[in-house]
Amino acid sequence: MREINMGVSIGGVEFQNPILVASGTYGYGSEAKDYCDISGLGGIVTKSVSWKPRPGNYPRRIVETASGMLNSIGLANVGVHAFVDEKLPYLENFNTKIIANIAASSTEEYCNVLRHIEENASKNLVGYEINVSCPNVKDGGLSFGTNVARVEELTKALRPLTKKLLIIKLTPNVTSVAPFAAACEASGADAISLINTVLGMSVDIHTRMPRISTVTGGLSGPAIKPIALAKVYEARKACTIPIIGIGGITSASDVMEFLIVGASLVQIGTANFINPNIGNQIFSELRNLLIDKGIVNIQDVVATLKVADQMKALGW
Amino acid sequence: MQDTIRSQIQRSKVLGRREIARGLVVLKFQNSFVAEKAAPGQFVNVLPKIDFSDPFLRRPFSVYNTSGDSAEIIIQDHGRGTAILAATGIGEHLDILGPLGNPWKYNETTFETAILVIGGAGVASMPLLAKQLEKDNKLYAVYYGARNKSLFADEYLRKIEYSTDDGSKGFHGSVIENVRKDLNVGKYSKPKIFVCGPTGMMRSAILLANEFRIPCEVSLETEMACGIGICQGCPVETSIGEAESTGRKFHLVCTQGPSFAKEQIVL
Repeated sequence: MREINMGVSIGGVEFQNPILVASGTYGYGSEAKDYCDISGLGGIVTKSVSWKPRPGNYPRRIVETASGMLNSIGLANVGVHAFVDEKLPYLENFNTKIIANIAASSTEEYCNVLRHIEENASKNLVGYEINVSCPNVKDGGLSFGTNVARVEELTKALRPLTKKLLIIKLTPNVTSVAPFAAACEASGADAISLINTVLGMSVDIHTRMPRISTVTGGLSGPAIKPIALAKVYEARKACTIPIIGIGGITSASDVMEFLIVGASLVQIGTANFINPNIGNQIFSELRNLLIDKGIVNIQDVVATLKVADQMKALGW
Repeated sequence: MQDTIRSQIQRSKVLGRREIARGLVVLKFQNSFVAEKAAPGQFVNVLPKIDFSDPFLRRPFSVYNTSGDSAEIIIQDHGRGTAILAATGIGEHLDILGPLGNPWKYNETTFETAILVIGGAGVASMPLLAKQLEKDNKLYAVYYGARNKSLFADEYLRKIEYSTDDGSKGFHGSVIENVRKDLNVGKYSKPKIFVCGPTGMMRSAILLANEFRIPCEVSLETEMACGIGICQGCPVETSIGEAESTGRKFHLVCTQGPSFAKEQIVL
């Protein structure tokens, strides 16, 4: 059998495979360890961390919807000091890459959090994912992510603070994601990741109350995969930096779809809630899929979407 | 390393299915891990479908009973997921994650008599607790309330003081009033209430415990995704905790509960 190269390199960082777990769906690693060989993953993106601990939103925080779920957790997290002192050291025990996801309500706070992690950085920490796309907090989050100028300003402010990967996590809750992708590249980001959750809502017709305390929440799960693929494809045409595809992945064929439309890496999100070992299962499944198709290098799949010539001629 | 694993995911064959009260179906499944490890009050998180098709989130159920290498859960039809699970046939397989959460705190020395207070389908976590108390030679009493007599799932419980809203069985009125009546006459020495049922009924149980200055532990049921502390989707507001700028703090029902001392939470 020929050796299959599952490795992917972005911004000079070698990932052993393209399968990462998404922020907020894997805690800080310790919660999943009984169910999963963490070292088999390409990487872990940790739960969003802010300067101070955040208690999160009042219940109800989650509701299942058709092939998906709405959440409004509200960035509940331990704060950057506990993150650095207690959570990061634990992740040193595993042979996988760590990306710290940062959420904040001002450019200054984003910078302070990144600086604090950078000063106390561990060897497995290879980069930062900047969450400008949380739909469930009143301050920050989407107010950054839906404004090209603010994304640009933030990326420029963060870039000089680290030589590690700087990844901006984009929201689908914009008319067009292309200008955001272009702005991230122009401002020095190493990569972009998309999509964060899609703004959604669910109503109890008996009480006429929203099923989520904050009225709207973020939709995730298989329901959003088509939206995610379209956004990744749009972003792929708008920038040349690597893309990390996220949205409703539950199988190796889902991963292949994201790679084909232009993602170099993927993140598995909501599926971890059902099976914390799904990342490793998808890895094995993906490897077998590549063998079946005679593909020896996973990177050969990236951005290979074939659009019919007559459709290209029509501008598609 | 093996003995430190407290829960795991296991495909489990359904061995039995029976309706024990109106709208309550018991599924018995083969799962030696859960059967051996589950303590009274713990739960399992069960997938309605095993292929990520809709609906795809797990549903939490108290471990209702264990024997040999099998365990049981009670399913009450709440919607699409529970309807699918309740219709699972003998010989089919369930994907079960568990046991999860913390046990009832039944081995404290702060009480002499355990008063198990049950509302409707809240019965699910009680048989294992009663069994444990018997094993430990602890005194206990059971108060079980429901809307009417067709709703009691009492097959594994003894010494039950029944109450119904419509008077069709036992005391005519609420289970809480039934307990109060006996507390008033000092029937029990150093009692502690263990309660599970609808939220309003558990609130009343807490007020009753406060009135009589006795300990009370409540077992909560919330919507839940992962069941293992990752998704942060099952918070309950806590009444104690460090000062917080926003003035709120939460416990997670899955990993810090599902049962809490009344002082720990705001219901």
